[in-house]
Amino acid sequence: MSAKNAVLGLVIERPGYGYDLARRLQARFGSSGFAPTGVYSALDQLSADAMVRSAGPRSNAANERAAPRTIYEATPKGIDHFEEWMLSGSSLAPVRDELYMKIALSRPHNLARLIELARSQEEDCLARMQSLKQPSGGQGGALRAWSEVAVLLVRDAEIKQLEARVEWLQKARAIMQRLNGAQTRCQAQGDRVA
Amino acid sequence: MSSQARLELDRVSKSYWRGPHETTVLKEISLSVYAGECVAVWGQRGSGKTTLLKVAAGLEAPESGVVRFKEQSLVGMSRAGLVRLLREEIGWARRSGPESDELEMLDYVALPLLKQQNMRRARRRSAAALARVGVAGCSKGRWEDLTDGERTLVSIAHAMVRQPSLLVVDDPTANLDVLQREEVMGLLRSTAEQDWLAVLITVPDMPSMVHAHRIGSLSDGRLLVPSGASPERDNVVDFPVRGRAAPGG
Repeated sequence: MSAKNAVLGLVIERPGYGYDLARRLQARFGSSGFAPTGVYSALDQLSADAMVRSAGPRSNAANERAAPRTIYEATPKGIDHFEEWMLSGSSLAPVRDELYMKIALSRPHNLARLIELARSQEEDCLARMQSLKQPSGGQGGALRAWSEVAVLLVRDAEIKQLEARVEWLQKARAIMQRLNGAQTRCQAQGDRVA
Repeated sequence: MSSQARLELDRVSKSYWRGPHETTVLKEISLSVYAGECVAVWGQRGSGKTTLLKVAAGLEAPESGVVRFKEQSLVGMSRAGLVRLLREEIGWARRSGPESDELEMLDYVALPLLKQQNMRRARRRSAAALARVGVAGCSKGRWEDLTDGERTLVSIAHAMVRQPSLLVVDDPTANLDVLQREEVMGLLRSTAEQDWLAVLITVPDMPSMVHAHRIGSLSDGRLLVPSGASPERDNVVDFPVRGRAAPGG
Protein backbone atom coordinates (compact mmCIF):
# COMPACT_ATOMS: atom_id res chain seq x y z
CA MET A 1 0.00 0.00 0.00
CA SER A 2 1.37 3.41 -0.93
CA ALA A 3 1.36 6.36 1.43
CA LYS A 4 -0.88 8.30 -0.97
CA ASN A 5 -4.20 7.82 0.80
CA ALA A 6 -2.63 8.14 4.23
CA VAL A 7 -1.04 11.48 3.29
CA LEU A 8 -4.27 12.64 1.69
CA GLY A 9 -6.16 11.79 4.89
CA LEU A 10 -3.67 13.76 6.99
CA VAL A 11 -3.92 16.80 4.67
CA ILE A 12 -7.74 16.66 4.92
CA GLU A 13 -7.45 16.58 8.70
CA ARG A 14 -5.18 19.60 8.70
CA PRO A 15 -3.16 21.30 5.92
CA GLY A 16 0.58 20.89 6.36
CA TYR A 17 4.00 21.00 4.71
CA GLY A 18 6.11 18.00 3.75
CA TYR A 19 8.17 17.54 6.90
CA ASP A 20 5.17 18.18 9.13
CA LEU A 21 3.20 15.51 7.26
CA ALA A 22 6.12 13.05 7.49
CA ARG A 23 6.20 13.54 11.26
CA ARG A 24 2.44 13.13 11.56
CA LEU A 25 2.56 9.99 9.40
CA GLN A 26 5.21 8.49 11.68
CA ALA A 27 3.27 9.44 14.83
CA ARG A 28 0.03 7.97 13.48
CA PHE A 29 1.30 4.77 11.88
CA GLY A 30 4.56 4.05 13.70
CA SER A 31 6.74 1.57 11.90
CA SER A 32 4.06 0.43 9.45
CA GLY A 33 6.50 0.64 6.60
CA PHE A 34 5.94 4.20 5.38
CA ALA A 35 9.33 5.74 4.70
CA PRO A 36 9.38 9.48 5.58
CA THR A 37 10.54 10.24 2.04
CA GLY A 38 7.41 8.53 0.73
CA VAL A 39 5.47 11.60 1.84
CA TYR A 40 7.13 13.76 -0.81
CA SER A 41 6.45 11.37 -3.69
CA ALA A 42 2.89 10.96 -2.40
CA LEU A 43 2.46 14.77 -2.39
CA ASP A 44 3.86 14.96 -5.97
CA GLN A 45 1.41 12.28 -7.07
CA LEU A 46 -1.53 13.89 -5.27
CA SER A 47 -0.65 17.29 -6.77
CA ALA A 48 -0.42 15.78 -10.28
CA ASP A 49 -3.85 14.20 -9.74
CA ALA A 50 -5.21 17.57 -8.49
CA MET A 51 -6.16 16.06 -5.15
CA VAL A 52 -4.05 18.49 -3.14
CA ARG A 53 -2.89 21.99 -3.98
CA SER A 54 -0.61 24.58 -2.53
CA ALA A 55 -2.30 26.79 0.03
CA GLY A 56 0.53 29.25 -0.50
CA PRO A 57 4.04 29.31 0.94
CA ARG A 58 4.57 30.04 4.61
CA SER A 59 7.83 31.43 5.92
CA ASN A 60 9.77 29.36 8.38
CA ALA A 61 9.41 31.22 11.68
CA ALA A 62 12.33 29.36 13.23
CA ASN A 63 14.72 30.33 10.46
CA GLU A 64 13.92 33.47 8.46
CA ARG A 65 16.64 32.80 5.89
CA ALA A 66 15.33 29.33 5.06
CA ALA A 67 13.20 28.83 1.95
CA PRO A 68 9.45 29.23 2.60
CA ARG A 69 7.55 25.98 3.04
CA THR A 70 4.71 24.93 0.78
CA ILE A 71 1.58 24.22 2.74
CA TYR A 72 -0.66 21.61 1.12
CA GLU A 73 -4.43 21.51 1.40
CA ALA A 74 -6.95 19.06 -0.03
CA THR A 75 -9.04 19.89 -3.11
CA PRO A 76 -12.73 18.89 -3.37
CA LYS A 77 -11.60 16.15 -5.77
CA GLY A 78 -9.15 14.92 -3.15
CA ILE A 79 -11.85 14.87 -0.48
CA ASP A 80 -14.19 12.92 -2.77
CA HIS A 81 -11.42 10.44 -3.57
CA PHE A 82 -10.65 9.97 0.13
CA GLU A 83 -14.32 9.30 0.97
CA GLU A 84 -14.49 6.75 -1.88
CA TRP A 85 -11.35 5.08 -0.56
CA MET A 86 -12.90 4.92 2.92
CA LEU A 87 -15.93 3.11 1.48
CA SER A 88 -13.93 0.71 -0.70
CA GLY A 89 -12.82 -2.75 0.48
CA SER A 90 -9.45 -3.36 2.13
CA SER A 91 -7.27 -6.21 0.86
CA LEU A 92 -5.06 -8.36 3.02
CA ALA A 93 -1.36 -7.61 2.65
CA PRO A 94 0.45 -10.30 0.64
CA VAL A 95 2.80 -12.51 2.63
CA ARG A 96 6.21 -12.04 1.09
CA ASP A 97 8.98 -12.54 3.54
CA GLU A 98 12.63 -13.36 3.12
CA LEU A 99 12.78 -15.75 6.07
CA TYR A 100 9.73 -17.65 4.75
CA MET A 101 11.45 -18.00 1.39
CA LYS A 102 14.69 -19.16 3.01
CA ILE A 103 12.85 -21.81 5.05
CA ALA A 104 10.87 -22.96 2.01
CA LEU A 105 14.04 -23.36 -0.04
CA SER A 106 16.35 -24.59 2.73
CA ARG A 107 18.03 -27.97 3.06
CA PRO A 108 18.80 -29.86 6.28
CA HIS A 109 22.32 -28.46 6.54
CA ASN A 110 20.81 -24.93 6.70
CA LEU A 111 18.84 -25.70 9.88
CA ALA A 112 21.41 -24.45 12.37
CA ARG A 113 21.63 -21.07 10.64
CA LEU A 114 17.85 -20.79 10.27
CA ILE A 115 17.44 -21.41 14.01
CA GLU A 116 19.80 -18.51 14.66
CA LEU A 117 17.93 -16.33 12.18
CA ALA A 118 14.61 -17.12 13.84
CA ARG A 119 16.04 -16.23 17.25
CA SER A 120 17.49 -13.01 15.88
CA GLN A 121 14.17 -12.03 14.29
CA GLU A 122 12.40 -12.73 17.56
CA GLU A 123 14.80 -10.32 19.28
CA ASP A 124 14.14 -7.74 16.56
CA CYS A 125 10.37 -8.06 17.08
CA LEU A 126 10.77 -7.53 20.83
CA ALA A 127 13.11 -4.60 20.28
CA ARG A 128 10.53 -3.01 17.99
CA MET A 129 7.89 -3.74 20.59
CA GLN A 130 10.07 -2.12 23.26
CA SER A 131 10.53 0.96 21.08
CA LEU A 132 6.80 1.56 20.75
CA LYS A 133 5.78 4.31 23.11
CA GLN A 134 2.64 4.28 25.13
CA PRO A 135 0.00 6.45 23.53
CA SER A 136 -0.75 9.82 24.98
CA GLY A 137 -4.08 10.33 26.58
CA GLY A 138 -6.17 9.80 29.64
CA GLN A 139 -5.66 7.24 32.32
CA GLY A 140 -7.68 5.88 35.16
CA GLY A 141 -10.86 5.26 33.27
CA ALA A 142 -11.22 8.69 31.70
CA LEU A 143 -13.20 8.59 28.49
CA ARG A 144 -10.91 8.88 25.51
CA ALA A 145 -11.45 10.92 22.40
CA TRP A 146 -12.04 8.79 19.32
CA SER A 147 -8.77 10.04 17.80
CA GLU A 148 -6.88 8.55 20.77
CA VAL A 149 -8.77 5.27 20.58
CA ALA A 150 -8.12 5.09 16.83
CA VAL A 151 -4.37 5.46 17.37
CA LEU A 152 -4.59 2.80 20.08
CA LEU A 153 -6.36 0.36 17.77
CA VAL A 154 -3.85 0.88 14.97
CA ARG A 155 -0.95 0.44 17.39
CA ASP A 156 -2.60 -2.74 18.68
CA ALA A 157 -2.87 -4.07 15.13
CA GLU A 158 0.82 -3.44 14.60
CA ILE A 159 1.76 -5.12 17.89
CA LYS A 160 -0.55 -8.06 17.20
CA GLN A 161 1.31 -8.62 13.94
CA LEU A 162 4.56 -8.66 15.90
CA GLU A 163 3.02 -11.06 18.41
CA ALA A 164 1.84 -13.42 15.67
CA ARG A 165 5.29 -13.24 14.14
CA VAL A 166 7.01 -14.05 17.45
CA GLU A 167 4.61 -16.94 18.12
CA TRP A 168 5.35 -18.37 14.69
CA LEU A 169 9.11 -17.85 15.11
CA GLN A 170 9.06 -19.65 18.47
CA LYS A 171 7.13 -22.61 17.06
CA ALA A 172 9.28 -22.78 13.92
CA ARG A 173 12.44 -22.56 16.00
CA ALA A 174 11.28 -25.36 18.34
CA ILE A 175 10.56 -27.66 15.37
CA MET A 176 13.82 -26.79 13.64
CA GLN A 177 15.75 -27.42 16.88
CA ARG A 178 14.10 -30.81 17.27
CA LEU A 179 14.87 -31.82 13.67
CA ASN A 180 18.38 -30.43 13.88
CA GLY A 181 18.98 -32.43 17.05
CA ALA A 182 17.65 -35.58 15.40
CA GLN A 183 19.84 -34.90 12.37
CA THR A 184 22.91 -34.42 14.53
CA ARG A 185 22.20 -37.69 16.35
CA CYS A 186 21.75 -39.54 13.05
CA GLN A 187 25.00 -38.14 11.71
CA ALA A 188 26.73 -39.21 14.89
CA GLN A 189 25.48 -42.74 14.21
CA GLY A 190 26.78 -42.57 10.68
CA ASP A 191 23.37 -42.46 9.04
CA ARG A 192 22.42 -40.18 6.22
CA VAL A 193 19.49 -37.83 6.68
CA ALA A 194 17.55 -37.34 3.55
CA MET B 1 18.71 5.78 45.62
CA SER B 2 19.96 2.23 45.80
CA SER B 3 21.02 0.66 42.53
CA GLN B 4 20.43 -2.83 43.92
CA ALA B 5 17.63 -4.81 42.37
CA ARG B 6 14.69 -5.32 44.68
CA LEU B 7 14.13 -8.73 43.11
CA GLU B 8 16.83 -10.71 41.39
CA LEU B 9 16.67 -14.10 39.72
CA ASP B 10 20.09 -15.49 39.00
CA ARG B 11 20.27 -18.50 36.63
CA VAL B 12 17.09 -20.00 38.00
CA SER B 13 15.90 -23.37 36.68
CA LYS B 14 12.74 -25.26 37.50
CA SER B 15 11.34 -28.58 36.31
CA TYR B 16 8.15 -30.54 36.78
CA TRP B 17 7.64 -34.28 36.64
CA ARG B 18 4.67 -35.51 34.66
CA GLY B 19 4.65 -39.23 35.25
CA PRO B 20 8.05 -40.54 34.22
CA HIS B 21 8.83 -37.42 32.13
CA GLU B 22 10.66 -34.41 33.44
CA THR B 23 9.79 -31.07 31.81
CA THR B 24 12.14 -28.17 32.34
CA VAL B 25 9.95 -25.07 32.55
CA LEU B 26 12.60 -22.48 33.39
CA LYS B 27 16.16 -22.79 32.10
CA GLU B 28 18.76 -20.58 33.76
CA ILE B 29 16.55 -17.49 33.88
CA SER B 30 18.19 -14.29 35.04
CA LEU B 31 16.08 -11.21 35.67
CA SER B 32 16.23 -8.15 37.90
CA VAL B 33 13.35 -5.91 38.91
CA TYR B 34 14.08 -2.56 40.50
CA ALA B 35 11.97 -0.30 42.70
CA GLY B 36 9.96 2.10 40.59
CA GLU B 37 9.66 -0.06 37.50
CA CYS B 38 7.15 -2.41 35.96
CA VAL B 39 8.57 -5.43 34.13
CA ALA B 40 6.23 -7.41 31.88
CA VAL B 41 6.90 -10.95 30.67
CA TRP B 42 4.94 -12.32 27.74
CA GLY B 43 4.79 -15.94 26.70
CA GLN B 44 2.47 -18.36 24.98
CA ARG B 45 0.15 -20.57 26.98
CA GLY B 46 2.17 -23.16 28.89
CA SER B 47 5.42 -21.25 28.45
CA GLY B 48 6.08 -21.17 32.22
CA LYS B 49 5.03 -17.57 32.98
CA THR B 50 3.08 -18.43 36.12
CA THR B 51 5.88 -20.70 37.33
CA LEU B 52 8.29 -17.81 36.84
CA LEU B 53 6.10 -15.57 39.00
CA LYS B 54 5.70 -18.23 41.71
CA VAL B 55 9.44 -18.74 41.89
CA ALA B 56 10.02 -14.97 41.92
CA ALA B 57 7.54 -14.52 44.78
CA GLY B 58 9.01 -17.38 46.83
CA LEU B 59 5.90 -19.53 46.45
CA GLU B 60 7.92 -22.25 44.72
CA ALA B 61 11.59 -23.09 45.12
CA PRO B 62 13.83 -23.41 42.06
CA GLU B 63 15.92 -26.54 41.45
CA SER B 64 18.97 -24.44 40.87
CA GLY B 65 19.90 -20.78 40.84
CA VAL B 66 19.21 -18.06 43.36
CA VAL B 67 16.22 -15.80 43.99
CA ARG B 68 17.09 -12.68 46.00
CA PHE B 69 14.62 -10.24 47.46
CA LYS B 70 16.24 -7.06 48.80
CA GLU B 71 19.58 -8.85 48.50
CA GLN B 72 18.38 -11.71 50.71
CA SER B 73 18.27 -15.19 49.19
CA LEU B 74 14.88 -16.87 49.34
CA VAL B 75 16.45 -20.24 48.62
CA GLY B 76 16.98 -21.94 51.93
CA MET B 77 15.00 -19.31 53.86
CA SER B 78 12.95 -20.74 56.73
CA ARG B 79 9.26 -21.30 56.16
CA ALA B 80 8.47 -18.70 58.80
CA GLY B 81 10.71 -16.19 57.04
CA LEU B 82 9.04 -16.85 53.71
CA VAL B 83 5.58 -16.52 55.24
CA ARG B 84 6.59 -13.17 56.78
CA LEU B 85 7.89 -11.96 53.42
CA LEU B 86 4.72 -12.99 51.64
CA ARG B 87 2.62 -11.34 54.32
CA GLU B 88 4.51 -8.08 54.59
CA GLU B 89 6.71 -7.46 51.59
CA ILE B 90 5.37 -9.28 48.56
CA GLY B 91 1.92 -8.60 47.19
CA TRP B 92 0.53 -11.41 45.05
CA ALA B 93 -2.60 -10.39 43.19
CA ARG B 94 -4.97 -13.35 43.27
CA ARG B 95 -7.44 -13.57 40.43
CA SER B 96 -9.75 -15.97 42.18
CA GLY B 97 -11.39 -13.48 44.54
CA PRO B 98 -12.70 -14.17 48.06
CA GLU B 99 -13.68 -17.61 49.28
CA SER B 100 -17.06 -16.32 50.42
CA ASP B 101 -19.51 -14.95 47.87
CA GLU B 102 -21.11 -12.78 50.55
CA LEU B 103 -18.04 -10.69 51.31
CA GLU B 104 -18.20 -7.05 50.22
CA MET B 105 -15.10 -5.82 48.43
CA LEU B 106 -14.31 -3.30 51.18
CA ASP B 107 -13.97 -6.17 53.65
CA TYR B 108 -12.24 -8.47 51.16
CA VAL B 109 -9.48 -5.93 50.53
CA ALA B 110 -9.27 -5.23 54.29
CA LEU B 111 -8.72 -8.93 55.15
CA PRO B 112 -4.90 -8.96 54.80
CA LEU B 113 -4.68 -6.19 57.42
CA LEU B 114 -6.77 -7.78 60.12
CA LYS B 115 -3.91 -9.44 61.99
CA GLN B 116 -2.28 -6.06 62.46
CA GLN B 117 -5.16 -3.63 62.75
CA ASN B 118 -8.71 -3.41 63.98
CA MET B 119 -11.56 -3.61 61.49
CA ARG B 120 -12.25 0.12 61.44
CA ARG B 121 -8.68 1.03 60.50
CA ALA B 122 -8.41 -1.88 58.08
CA ARG B 123 -11.56 -0.74 56.30
CA ARG B 124 -10.24 2.80 56.07
CA ARG B 125 -7.05 1.58 54.39
CA SER B 126 -9.07 -0.77 52.22
CA ALA B 127 -11.20 2.15 51.03
CA ALA B 128 -8.03 4.10 50.23
CA ALA B 129 -6.58 1.14 48.29
CA LEU B 130 -9.80 0.72 46.28
CA ALA B 131 -9.84 4.44 45.51
CA ARG B 132 -6.15 4.32 44.55
CA VAL B 133 -6.86 1.77 41.81
CA GLY B 134 -10.00 3.58 40.67
CA VAL B 135 -12.75 1.26 41.91
CA ALA B 136 -13.97 3.05 45.03
CA GLY B 137 -17.48 2.49 43.69
CA CYS B 138 -17.08 -1.29 44.10
CA SER B 139 -16.54 -1.23 47.86
CA LYS B 140 -20.09 -2.38 48.62
CA GLY B 141 -20.18 -4.78 45.68
CA ARG B 142 -19.65 -8.51 45.73
CA TRP B 143 -17.16 -10.41 43.56
CA GLU B 144 -19.82 -11.95 41.36
CA ASP B 145 -21.26 -8.50 40.58
CA LEU B 146 -17.97 -7.13 39.24
CA THR B 147 -16.81 -6.94 35.64
CA ASP B 148 -13.52 -8.60 34.67
CA GLY B 149 -11.82 -5.22 34.68
CA GLU B 150 -13.13 -4.38 38.15
CA ARG B 151 -12.08 -7.80 39.48
CA THR B 152 -8.56 -7.21 38.23
CA LEU B 153 -8.41 -3.81 39.90
CA VAL B 154 -9.86 -5.11 43.17
CA SER B 155 -7.28 -7.95 43.13
CA ILE B 156 -4.52 -5.38 42.72
CA ALA B 157 -5.95 -3.34 45.62
CA HIS B 158 -6.08 -6.54 47.72
CA ALA B 159 -2.40 -7.21 46.96
CA MET B 160 -1.36 -3.60 47.57
CA VAL B 161 -3.27 -2.83 50.74
CA ARG B 162 -0.31 -3.85 52.94
CA GLN B 163 1.97 -1.60 50.90
CA PRO B 164 4.36 -4.34 49.76
CA SER B 165 7.77 -3.71 48.20
CA LEU B 166 7.15 -6.09 45.33
CA LEU B 167 3.86 -6.52 43.50
CA VAL B 168 3.43 -9.69 41.44
CA VAL B 169 0.46 -10.03 39.10
CA ASP B 170 -0.33 -12.99 36.87
CA ASP B 171 -1.98 -11.96 33.57
CA PRO B 172 -3.74 -8.82 34.86
CA THR B 173 -5.04 -8.00 31.39
CA ALA B 174 -6.59 -11.40 30.60
CA ASN B 175 -10.17 -11.06 29.30
CA LEU B 176 -10.03 -7.26 29.27
CA ASP B 177 -10.94 -5.09 26.30
CA VAL B 178 -8.51 -2.56 24.89
CA LEU B 179 -9.61 0.35 27.07
CA GLN B 180 -9.76 -1.70 30.28
CA ARG B 181 -6.33 -3.08 29.46
CA GLU B 182 -4.91 0.41 29.01
CA GLU B 183 -6.39 1.45 32.33
CA VAL B 184 -4.94 -1.52 34.23
CA MET B 185 -1.51 -1.29 32.62
CA GLY B 186 -1.39 2.48 33.10
CA LEU B 187 -2.24 1.93 36.76
CA LEU B 188 0.50 -0.68 37.24
CA ARG B 189 3.08 1.58 35.64
CA SER B 190 2.08 4.66 37.64
CA THR B 191 1.86 2.60 40.84
CA ALA B 192 5.42 1.39 40.33
CA GLU B 193 6.63 4.94 39.78
CA GLN B 194 4.63 6.79 42.39
CA ASP B 195 4.65 4.18 45.18
CA TRP B 196 8.24 3.18 44.47
CA LEU B 197 7.20 -0.43 44.00
CA ALA B 198 8.89 -3.14 41.99
CA VAL B 199 6.20 -4.66 39.79
CA LEU B 200 6.58 -7.97 37.97
CA ILE B 201 3.71 -9.13 35.81
CA THR B 202 2.97 -11.63 33.10
CA VAL B 203 0.79 -10.65 30.17
CA PRO B 204 -1.28 -12.80 27.80
CA ASP B 205 -0.66 -10.61 24.77
CA MET B 206 1.97 -8.23 23.51
CA PRO B 207 -0.11 -5.03 23.35
CA SER B 208 -0.30 -5.24 27.15
CA MET B 209 3.46 -4.71 27.34
CA VAL B 210 3.50 -1.19 25.94
CA HIS B 211 3.16 0.49 29.33
CA ALA B 212 5.86 -1.62 31.00
CA HIS B 213 9.28 -0.11 31.59
CA ARG B 214 10.95 -3.31 30.42
CA ILE B 215 9.68 -6.39 28.63
CA GLY B 216 10.73 -9.97 28.08
CA SER B 217 9.53 -13.03 26.21
CA LEU B 218 9.51 -16.52 27.70
CA SER B 219 9.71 -19.50 25.39
CA ASP B 220 11.27 -22.92 25.59
CA GLY B 221 12.11 -22.16 29.21
CA ARG B 222 14.35 -19.23 28.32
CA LEU B 223 13.74 -15.54 28.84
CA LEU B 224 14.54 -13.29 25.93
CA VAL B 225 15.03 -9.63 26.76
CA PRO B 226 15.38 -7.32 23.76
CA SER B 227 18.82 -5.88 23.25
CA GLY B 228 18.97 -2.30 24.44
CA ALA B 229 16.71 -3.23 27.33
CA SER B 230 19.42 -4.27 29.72
CA PRO B 231 18.27 -4.82 33.28
CA GLU B 232 20.90 -2.35 34.44
CA ARG B 233 19.25 0.39 36.48
CA ASP B 234 20.43 3.22 34.26
CA ASN B 235 18.66 1.83 31.23
CA VAL B 236 15.18 1.89 32.69
CA VAL B 237 13.18 4.35 30.64
CA ASP B 238 11.15 7.26 31.95
CA PHE B 239 13.13 7.65 35.13
CA PRO B 240 13.57 9.16 37.69
CA VAL B 241 10.17 9.17 39.27
CA ARG B 242 8.35 12.45 39.33
CA GLY B 243 6.55 13.86 42.30
CA ARG B 244 7.75 11.54 45.03
CA ALA B 245 11.01 11.16 46.85
CA ALA B 246 12.39 7.66 46.66
CA PRO B 247 12.61 5.95 50.00
CA GLY B 248 15.91 4.26 50.67
CA GLY B 249 16.31 0.55 49.91
